[in-house]
Formats: sequence, C-alpha cells, structure tokens
Amino acid sequence: MEQPHSGRRGAEAVLNLQPGSSISVAHHPLFGPHDDLILLELDEKLLPHILHQRVTLRGQPDEDAVLCTPSKTYGIKFVGNSNSVFLIPPSDHSILCEASEDHNGKGHIQQASASVIKVAPGSMELVEVAPRLDKLRLLLSENPYRSGEALQFEDVDGMEKCITGLYTWDDLVDKVQASDEELRTGLMAFSAVEINGYWRIVDEEYMGKLLMALFPSSVLNDWSLNALNEDEVVGALVQDGFPQKLAHHCLSVYGSKVGEGVNGSCLWSLDERRVCVHFAREILRRGKRKMESLMEEWRRKIPEGMQASFDMLEGEVLTEKLGVDLWVRAFSVSALPLTPAERFSVLFKERAKWEWKDLQPYIRDLKVPGLSLEGLLLKYTRRIQPTLDAEPIFSAR
Amino acid sequence: MQIKIKCSCSEESCQEWAIVEIQGAIEIQPSFQNRLDNLDIGQLCRPSSPENYTFTVGYHELAGSKVPLKKPFLVLKKKKTINVEQQSSENDSPGAELEVVGIIRHRILFKTRPKALISKPQPVVKKRASATGSSAPIK
Repeated sequence: MEQPHSGRRGAEAVLNLQPGSSISVAHHPLFGPHDDLILLELDEKLLPHILHQRVTLRGQPDEDAVLCTPSKTYGIKFVGNSNSVFLIPPSDHSILCEASEDHNGKGHIQQASASVIKVAPGSMELVEVAPRLDKLRLLLSENPYRSGEALQFEDVDGMEKCITGLYTWDDLVDKVQASDEELRTGLMAFSAVEINGYWRIVDEEYMGKLLMALFPSSVLNDWSLNALNEDEVVGALVQDGFPQKLAHHCLSVYGSKVGEGVNGSCLWSLDERRVCVHFAREILRRGKRKMESLMEEWRRKIPEGMQASFDMLEGEVLTEKLGVDLWVRAFSVSALPLTPAERFSVLFKERAKWEWKDLQPYIRDLKVPGLSLEGLLLKYTRRIQPTLDAEPIFSAR
Repeated sequence: MQIKIKCSCSEESCQEWAIVEIQGAIEIQPSFQNRLDNLDIGQLCRPSSPENYTFTVGYHELAGSKVPLKKPFLVLKKKKTINVEQQSSENDSPGAELEVVGIIRHRILFKTRPKALISKPQPVVKKRASATGSSAPIK
C-alpha cells in the first residue's frame, strides 16, 4: 500500500480514497462532543425544500417539536446508534473555524489525516404525522364572532376589550403544529373567516341570523337559490346591517360557487344539505326530540323548495329507543377530537358498542399518515361478529 | 414558535461529509484521555479490489465497504442567538437557529469481526470489539 496522502485532510479524502491507497484517521484538533452538531435523516424528496429554506421547526417550548415543509408535518425522534459513528467534515469546513480562533496554532496544524470532529450518538428521524389541528379549533373557539360584535368594533375601547383569544395568521403559525397548507385547509374545514386580520369561527346563531335574512330577500327579489348573484346578496345583507365579510362568508358556508353572472359577479348555489342540517342543529340545540316532533318542526323551518331527509343528519345525530319512542339528539362529528385515540375514546364513552353503519360517519374523516381505516379499527377497537352474516359490532379495546 | 432551517448551500452543492462507522467503541489509553485533539485513531486503507476497505485500529483490522445511505443525513448546526430585545415580542426571537452545514450520502461501514494483528506494536489507541473477548492491554 502507498504512503498516506499528505495535505488532504477531510471528508473528500475519505470518500475519494483510491484503490491501492490509504489515509490515516485521527481526532480533529477540535474534537469534542459538539452537541450542537446534529444528524437529520431526510428523504431525498424533501431535500429541495431544505435547500430553498422552506422548512421550519414548529412548536411551543412544552411541545415536542415538529418539522414542517410547506405542505406536510413530520414528528421528530432521536434514534440512538450503538455503533461508533465517526463524523468527518470536509477539510475546508468553515463553521469549525469559529471555535478555532481561541485555539491559535491548533486549528492551523496541517493534518495529514482525515479528522474526526465527533462521534455521533445517533440521528434524528422524521415520521409523517397528521397536523395538530385540535389546537387550532381550541384557539378559534376562545373568541367566536357573535352578534353584537359588529357594533363593538366601531368603538375603539370595545376593540381593546375583546382582544383576547384573537389570532392572526402569524399567531396561528406560531402556535399550531401544522404546515402552512394544512393550516389553511384546517381553517377552511372549520369554516373560519378572516376579519380585521384575525381568523374567527362564527357563532352558529349568528350564521342562522344571516341565513334568515337571506331567505326573505330572495323571495322579495325573486332570486333562485341555485343561482344567487353574489353582489346582490351581499348588498342586501349589508343593507340589513351585516358586515360585508360575513355576508360573503354566509354564501361560502352554505353554498358553492357555480359560475359567473352577467356583470362579472359570482353565482352561488345554496347547498340543500348544509342548509337543512343547519336548521336541524338549531332545533336540537334546545335538547333531544322525538323523531316525529323533530321531522315535523324541521320541515316547517326549511326554505321553500328544499327537502329534508333524515339521512342528511348522518354524523350529526344519534338515535336511541326509549320505550316505544325513537329519540334524536345532537352529536356532531365536527365537535369531536381529530386525533384517533381521543376520537375513539369519546365515541366509546358515548356508546359502548357501535354497529358499523353508525360508527362509519364518525370515523371516516380521520386521517393518519400510514394507517388506513381498517388499520385504525384494528388499533383502537375490538370487533365482535358472532356469525358471518351478522353485523359486526365495535367496542373499545 | 418557529425555527427556520437555514441553508446557505446552493442547489446540489451542499458540502459532503463522511462517516466511518464501526461496531463497538475505541478505547483510549488513560494517559491520553484528556488530550484527544490530533490523536491518531487508525489507518483507513483501500486495497486494490473495488469496494473493500480496511480500517486498522491498534492491533485490530476491520473489513468493510462504502455503503450509500438509504436516506441521506443532513448535518445541522444549532446556534443560540443572543437577543437583546427579547421582551418586545415572543414571535421574532426563538433564541435558536438551525443551519444545514453538510450532507452525508455514504458511510464506510465496518461490521465484521475484527482480525487481530498480533505482530503490530501496542499503540495508544486500540479497538475494543463489542463481541470478542480481547486480551488485556500490554504496557
């Protein structure tokens, strides 16, 4: 074997070691624990995000940090390695020179060997996780937008008073462990709206007021509920005293854009299911009802031209037989925790045993990276199926 | 709280670091425990055959190869920032920064039983194999 190659000192010498040659390996002049040097295992496809500085760590001091790309969230765990992992930096590594200023001569010794700066005890690994949106809902629920607030904001003092529990986009990014894209999706899923720079959930009673103002206007102006002109609707609601932002929000919560109208204004169609569910929830907010009573009042409340059917209330209500009567009470999946363990815990507290057809609407929204619905059921439930053609029953593990 | 992971390497030119990995640990003679800087560890050789490497530590010779990592490692450096105006807003000063200082795509991995080269003189650093019961050090 040839003599050690003098003058080449670092990683490149090791990586480019030619056949028939050798290099000595030594401790770096600045060898040490260097706890500030961390190894992070990273999938190749995440590399562009890192290189373009689109990756951040998010979390409060009391939370386990997560790593966020623009669209995904990853849990971080340290994995130890019982092997001795000698870490060798490139020879011209400037980061280490900061420390070498104190060491005068030491840092400038010509190394004829590859230098090991530290022995890495392990590395960080990433695991894709669901964004922690339960916290987002919690924050947004601290100060929902209610009737009367429109007036409060005109009064400066009033504005100071209601400043608690209000969060801007930047506040939410700071407090919620989710990527930007997942945060935006979450805000949409919670029907949040940005008012005066703050993201708000609007109280259901207030939304009801908006709807109730919309219907008489539509009758008066002979509007079709399937082709509502955005400008006309918003204009009429503003006339009735509602802020423009919320008039617009009413359309996006209860309808969908279907096209463009004559003068460039958007056309909206009210979603029958969403409108009907709103009225059913309104009725059941006052307490549980007998099926017949619910259906009768419900049919009276919904607007002309819409049909209410009980299956619209899937994932919104639970039924129970008390004596000869079937009673209905509110139980909305939208109010349940988003993390599987907690979701199943709440569901089994509500009912010890669930039939699949009843359970499905309350778990189909659960999204855990790497786990299918079957996987979730396997993990969190016990399945009982007495005979092959009997309905499977699920209970807590 | 947000800590941005900074990266000043341009596309594809992230400095590549190297890893030499052995099973077990090296043992430093007591008199050298406090003077690790510049202390020799061993000799890394690449005999003529393509992917084989040997690493000789003390009187042990290890055989290994250069293995590409399934997933690359990033080398990150954690820096503490000292912020004078920390009272004003909590959002801007997390007090720590993370920067990418390198990438690792290969490691030279030695995972076979070390071969004892008994004729070699006793050095200052020797290999303590995790599996074999090696003989006591000779002064």
